Amino acid sequence: MTQPILQAQDLHKTFGKTEAVRGISFDILPGEIFSLLGPNGAGKTTTISMLSCLLAPTQGDARIDGHSIRGQAAQVKAVIGVVPQEIALYPDMGAMENLRFWGRMYGLGGASLRQRCEELLDTVGLADRSKDKVETFSGGMKRRLNIAVGLLHKPKVLYMDEPTVGIDPQSRRRILDTVIELNRQGLTVLYTTHYMEEAAELSSRIGIVDHGQLIALGSQVELTKLVGQVDTLRIGLDPEGLEEAQLLAAVHKVKRVQRASLENGQLLVQAEGGHAALGGIVACINQAQARLLDLRVDEPNLEAVFLHLTGRALRD
Amino acid sequence: MRALYIGWKDTLRRFRDWKALAGMLAAPLLISALIGLAFGNLNDTETPISEIALAVVNHDDGELGQIYVDVLHSEDLTDLLAAENMDDLAVAQQRIREGELRAVVYIPAGFSDNLLEGAQGSDFGSHAEVQVFTDPTANISPFIVQSIVEQISNGLNSALLAGQVSALQAADYAHILQERMAGLGEAVADQLSPENFDVRESRLGLNVIQTGESGPAFDPYSFFVPGMAVFFLMFSVFDGSRSILQEQTRGTLPRLITTPTPHSQIILGKMLGTFLTGLLQFALLVLASTLLFGVNWGSSPAGVALIMVLTVFAASGLGALLTSAARNESQAGIVVSAVSLIFGALGGSFFPASNLSGIVDLASRLTVNRWAMEGFTKLTVGRAGFNEILPEAGVLALIGLVTFVLAMIGFKRRFVR
Repeated sequence: MTQPILQAQDLHKTFGKTEAVRGISFDILPGEIFSLLGPNGAGKTTTISMLSCLLAPTQGDARIDGHSIRGQAAQVKAVIGVVPQEIALYPDMGAMENLRFWGRMYGLGGASLRQRCEELLDTVGLADRSKDKVETFSGGMKRRLNIAVGLLHKPKVLYMDEPTVGIDPQSRRRILDTVIELNRQGLTVLYTTHYMEEAAELSSRIGIVDHGQLIALGSQVELTKLVGQVDTLRIGLDPEGLEEAQLLAAVHKVKRVQRASLENGQLLVQAEGGHAALGGIVACINQAQARLLDLRVDEPNLEAVFLHLTGRALRD
Repeated sequence: MRALYIGWKDTLRRFRDWKALAGMLAAPLLISALIGLAFGNLNDTETPISEIALAVVNHDDGELGQIYVDVLHSEDLTDLLAAENMDDLAVAQQRIREGELRAVVYIPAGFSDNLLEGAQGSDFGSHAEVQVFTDPTANISPFIVQSIVEQISNGLNSALLAGQVSALQAADYAHILQERMAGLGEAVADQLSPENFDVRESRLGLNVIQTGESGPAFDPYSFFVPGMAVFFLMFSVFDGSRSILQEQTRGTLPRLITTPTPHSQIILGKMLGTFLTGLLQFALLVLASTLLFGVNWGSSPAGVALIMVLTVFAASGLGALLTSAARNESQAGIVVSAVSLIFGALGGSFFPASNLSGIVDLASRLTVNRWAMEGFTKLTVGRAGFNEILPEAGVLALIGLVTFVLAMIGFKRRFVR
């Protein structure tokens, strides 16, 4: 049986009276892309920070490639690469200059460092901008260079904390393709995101995190089975003059409807066989004299799983 | 080794920043130039030196010793000198040691007789000595007292030797002592006027022995360039110290911590960057001021180098300590700016701190600027040698060492959570 390359056991982190992480445990096998999916503030970054030896766990431990984050930080740091959520680069230094500096921080040097920097600039498509200052780069280019820094020392596990936040779709696509390619070459990736689509596309397994706890873990197929054949209906309503309580009470009475919530004019309904329930729901809307702005029916997906487990949308 | 990379990276980044360079190099040179021009013009400005505490111990029964007493008490010098008469030389010297007096002018018994007798023989004036005892911790005021005594002596000497009153020539030298000294020539002339002193009677010599350092005419650049250099060094070094908090905010410090580079190397590297930047800044200021203003940094390049290195070391340590204690980057900015200004004002970057007394003097001695300025002024104004600046060097080294160690501890606690 293959040994996990990363084992997190009952990780806790408390800041003052706030419990940011409350007992997270999971394993990652070599060659996997494992995603932690959850809304902002769920505890994903705190978990990655503990696994990076940036924060000491209040309780629990993790072993990466056999080394404990509690007592063997130096060994752990040597086998992990970290791509933080922020653009952690020096904007007034060139791309190559940044890579060379960070390479030295990983103990690299000489001709091998130069060669590795050139390879990585090529990998992330910045070879022709190697001398340009990072401050002249677009957001997507900065993100790609940010990833390259995490790969300098050829880590065994790469942590990527929300690496596509705040960039255009084209750059996002390029980053996702880079992650897939790196994984194809054998790199194990721990990926955090609040984008359900990214987790779905990239991951062999997904851990859903909410309020500092891992509330579900499995492959996408395993997770969607949790909600059965329940569809999610998203109905946009004009909030002006909307009698929310009255409408929700009516929708809950519609046959096949399992759960309904209304927030900021967005009616979220989970119903078994969503299309079949649609007629009844629209009738309720008409009866409440609400104005329907848009309507979408989603078949079971990770977002529905999150909604099913927490009663809230993933992007709440 | 990785600390060196971090330090060098910070230094390079700092020297690529044109705005930072303006603050580090252009501003101190410009302000030094303006102050130097202003203080170099007797008609335009007031000297910051005033009421130098001085005792006159006159054991001479003759008229010549009395001339010194009268000049030093003359109305023209009341703004500049706060002279008092004392009888006991030992007590007067003790008061210097206690910081109550900056200088004692001692006219020994038989001074006038010796002069007059010496004038008749071959050992012309060899036994006539006026001694000036000075406060070794003060820099400018002893120099001024010595200059005044020297001018009285020169005037007297000229009169005795040439048989004519030449004390008015003293006014030619008054520029070194600023406007408050402009009346010195007249004061000396009054005392040496034919009514008071019959110059035809004697052709006598005179020696002045000074216990303090003598030197060339006071050059305002020699004082203000080091003053401004230290003042702006504190600003830039303190600002540089904040870069560790900037890196924390911008995410590069957490990323550094996730690399296998030990925490101690990271913190040391950051402090090294501040130190290297400050050192380079100060060295460039020394070079530029020498080329632009002709500042003479003294006869001990090793002394200048030592005080420079230790001043930057102490400033870097203090900056790091203040930063390590600050809650965030903006709080650190406010604290270090305030400390820079207070240290500049108290520590003698704008005026000689040797004039301070009591609790203000004590507070001044707690600043890096004070010890740096004492060291530099000894070298530039007093022309001191290497050994003479060792006390200041020792204090700066101690400040640097203590603050560096405390900052290291503070940063470790802060970043290892």
